[in-house]
Amino acid sequence: MTPLDQLLALSALTVVAVWMIGNRQVTGWNATILYAAQGVLLLMMAGLGYGDVQSIASSVTFRVLGHDLHWRFNGLSWFFALITIGAAFLASWFASGEWGQRYRAAGGSLRLFHVALALNVFSMLVLLASGDLLSLFIGWELVSWASFLIMALGSATATRYAMRYVTYAFAGAMAVLMALVMVNTQSGSFEFQAFREAVPAMSDGSLWMIVVLFAAGFGVKMALIPFHLWQAKAYAETPGPGAAFLGAISSRMGLFALVVVLVQLISVARLADLQLVFPFFSARDLLSWVAVLTLIFATFTALRQHDARRLLAWHGIGQGGYMLLGVLIADDLGSAGGLMHVFNHATYQAVLFMAVTAVIHRTGTSDLNKLGGLVTRMPLSFVAMLIGIIGLAGLPPMNGFVSKWLLYRALIIDGSPLLFLGSVVGTLGTILSVYKLIHNTFLGQLRLEHVEVEEAPSSMVWPMMILSTIVFVTGYFPGLVLDWVASAQAAVGLPVLAHNLGGVPSHKGGLDMIWVVSVLLAGFGIGTLVFFAGGRSKRVHQLDNYAGGHFLTAETRYQYSDNFYPGLMHLIGPWYRKSFRWLERGVVSTVDTLAQAMQGLYRVVHPSFYLLVAVVSALTWVATK
Amino acid sequence: MNQLALLVALPLITAFLLPVVNRVSTLAARWVGPLVLLLTSAIGISLWPQLGDSAVAVELGGFRPPLGISLYADRMALLFALATSIGTLLLWPSRGEEWLRQSTLALILAASGSGLALSGDLFNIYVFYELVAVVSYGLIAARSSAGSFAATLRYLIVSSFGAALALTGIALVYQATGTLNLAQLSRLAPTHLNNLQGLSAFVLMLIGFGVKAELFPVNTWVPEVYATAPTRVSGLLAGVVSKLALLIIVRLLVLVFNQPEALTVMLVLGMLGVVTGELAAWRARDFNRMIAYSSIGQLGIMFIAFSIPGEAGVFAGLAVALHHLVVKPAMFLLAERWQGSLHRLAGAARTSPLGAALFVLLALSLIGVPPLPGFWAKLLVMVNLMAQENTLYMAGAWVIMGGAALEANYLFRVASSFYHRSDEQSSPAAHRTRDLATASLLGAGLLAGAVLIMPLADEIEGIASQAASKNRYVQTVNPEVLP
Repeated sequence: MTPLDQLLALSALTVVAVWMIGNRQVTGWNATILYAAQGVLLLMMAGLGYGDVQSIASSVTFRVLGHDLHWRFNGLSWFFALITIGAAFLASWFASGEWGQRYRAAGGSLRLFHVALALNVFSMLVLLASGDLLSLFIGWELVSWASFLIMALGSATATRYAMRYVTYAFAGAMAVLMALVMVNTQSGSFEFQAFREAVPAMSDGSLWMIVVLFAAGFGVKMALIPFHLWQAKAYAETPGPGAAFLGAISSRMGLFALVVVLVQLISVARLADLQLVFPFFSARDLLSWVAVLTLIFATFTALRQHDARRLLAWHGIGQGGYMLLGVLIADDLGSAGGLMHVFNHATYQAVLFMAVTAVIHRTGTSDLNKLGGLVTRMPLSFVAMLIGIIGLAGLPPMNGFVSKWLLYRALIIDGSPLLFLGSVVGTLGTILSVYKLIHNTFLGQLRLEHVEVEEAPSSMVWPMMILSTIVFVTGYFPGLVLDWVASAQAAVGLPVLAHNLGGVPSHKGGLDMIWVVSVLLAGFGIGTLVFFAGGRSKRVHQLDNYAGGHFLTAETRYQYSDNFYPGLMHLIGPWYRKSFRWLERGVVSTVDTLAQAMQGLYRVVHPSFYLLVAVVSALTWVATK
Repeated sequence: MNQLALLVALPLITAFLLPVVNRVSTLAARWVGPLVLLLTSAIGISLWPQLGDSAVAVELGGFRPPLGISLYADRMALLFALATSIGTLLLWPSRGEEWLRQSTLALILAASGSGLALSGDLFNIYVFYELVAVVSYGLIAARSSAGSFAATLRYLIVSSFGAALALTGIALVYQATGTLNLAQLSRLAPTHLNNLQGLSAFVLMLIGFGVKAELFPVNTWVPEVYATAPTRVSGLLAGVVSKLALLIIVRLLVLVFNQPEALTVMLVLGMLGVVTGELAAWRARDFNRMIAYSSIGQLGIMFIAFSIPGEAGVFAGLAVALHHLVVKPAMFLLAERWQGSLHRLAGAARTSPLGAALFVLLALSLIGVPPLPGFWAKLLVMVNLMAQENTLYMAGAWVIMGGAALEANYLFRVASSFYHRSDEQSSPAAHRTRDLATASLLGAGLLAGAVLIMPLADEIEGIASQAASKNRYVQTVNPEVLP
């Protein structure tokens, strides 16, 4: 057995074991231990992550209908697998303690939840290991249905949106299958190598078709515009730790598949040659703009959300835009930024979802208009969320800053001012909405009904603290992650980023996070010194406050949260037109009308009439031959 | 190899003896039917390894063609004869008041179905086809409700007209060649039937036999009949009988009418079947009609697949047909308790968890999710359609993809309503053990197919290559004709 076989076998075993243990409290702990073991097996393949080993194959191969199916891990797979297993480990840990108890008491089945999670991990590993287009498709389908399973465990809303996801995802899968079959016709097999070799000979028309079909199919998972309507609500309403897991990694599988197909097999250079409007607009530009528009639309939709989970889920969609954009720039900086953002996003998104779930666990709501002031009651959760939002907003000293820096730098070097502008607009929206998130949850005045609230239980705090530490440490020493990113780049044939522990050395202005963060910390240190040494500070109670020039007594709770950003919304409010929702409804009603017509066709009273028509027209056709 | 005739003769004799046996012992009469079918299935299975790679022609009574009645068994024919026996056994009518009549009819159906699969000449094919038709009228009218009679009557009218058309086609063939033996036709076809008359004959037979194969547009009987007939009968019609009709058409295509125009007609009608069937199913509001329309769509895919020229088409079509042969009857068995409005099915997973799980499995395979067998069948069809590098075939591929996307939507809309937690509504009754056991057996077969996909695919490819070879057929029946 190769190490990959062991990993996949253990992952499959996890599913079985969790199923066998059943709906019990220990299920979660067992699953957590098994994920840890999977992590150990993955670390034994760490050579992939540091470029020492190119590829580890699985000894399992099949030959069906004359097509070979095989699986292997390379640097890219390893990088994504690390995030997957890490996210599953922490999410499972988070779910194992009090959260699980309460979930079970409320009628949820921990067996189903953990089986769904384990199935997700297993299917993702299978997808990441795919060694040819057919195994890629099989993995893809497994991932789709596994994530449907975990989404369908949620509330009725989640099930409804999961249903929507099935529709989009399966239509997408059919697009992918169509593209695969086209590739097979042109290159003679489903092998990666054959596809890569056939690309130069393909005509622009057929390559366009293939690119569009692949991008649409895999784009569904990433919720790229215009396939974005399903994701936010489906993810948001998934049971808490499940949402953290899905938010961290699930939709990145779409990015993985796109990287494999567009970058590794077709190559971005070829995409740039596919002109839509000569010489301004190529397939690469098209996809880049889809990425940027997804970023802007999703981020500004997030800004409007009143529910913390939906806000985060919309950001998940938006941040995917950065990743795709980075990969499409395809130079060493940009693609490193895009790939590194996958890791960074997973860490801060997971911690944010966990913090919100912790708040729900204690207060019962994630409605941003019904929270506030929890910082005094749940300080550790506050710290976790603070670190998370700094990461999401892309500010130093957290890791989100590094990936965005790489991306912006690449966009400037690449000479794409409009894309750059779009990304900046997206970042602006992000900063505004994450402030809304933390302010409405933790800052301001505590509500009367939350006075008794306590800090989240340790089973929740520990995973959050671990993730926060990762967010900070990989921001301080981005080289830790950039090592893996570099091997991922090498694995798909992208130029490899030269980096060191602190960031990117360059005489034209590199980035040294050790320096940046140290200066920042020193600044904070000086500030703290001044604060404590300066004396003259007065402790005030959280409720000792005033608004609009009026002192408010402790009886009057005042938390400014409803109708957040009224001025901004006055300006941009009319831009929200729900056009995509209209579009979707239009498609549905078209299908409905057609379907009605077809039913009418079958509801005929004289069926023999059709027989006559069929015979006459067929014979007429024969006669004209 | 003379046991082949037993596949037809045994059930037929038993059917006629059944009323007599019933006079003697009701218990014996109840059990003799299934036992005979078990026996014929066993005979069929025991013949399978003997058959191997070679086909067999049997002249009944020792008369050589063109005079005698000839049976022809290659693995494809035997497979469908077996499927008829096993299918009838699995879908054996429930014990109602009419059990004696139903059992008799089911036995005749098994006999005539096997005969249809094994016949080597057009005249016998026509006779057995008519027999199947008459028996199925009796079976579907068993419910004795007004709706069921109306549906049966419509079916009867279309089917008889269809049979008349097929007979006209056969007459045209006979007029041109002077024989109805398929092997001889196959030799004469290139010279005598490669013309307008031949094409007309094919079109007439396609539409005529197409009535049972749910070919667009002569399939308008399907939704009403499947919604009102006993579900086991619907399963039998959709699962087995439709494939038998398809088998005749494929035989005709391979042996007699290999003109490209014939394939084009089938391709276009198949595409229309997928489009109309899947769209209508998408809007269907009751369970039986939904799977009835979906079966129209699936049969459309088979027509598209068989319209691919050469061995590849037979292989692809056979794969889809066999898959459907397993899945559709299981669906209809589940429909026994799930008839009527889809809204009523909310929460069905509570009363029938296994039934709901089976439905999900069948639906996944039907839309083609790997690694279930439905995926491999669909992949095969798609790859071969694309390989034609022809716009019309490419359109066929698009139609299949679009149909699958629609199908995923409506099947999973139903599946997720099963798991919907609704408290105020009453859930449908639990399945009968017998239905559930049979459906589970078919579901297990599907899973086994997924695991054993490699040998299975090789076997089906072997069957297809044997069936797609015109020379082998002619040589088996008339060894002296070809060197």
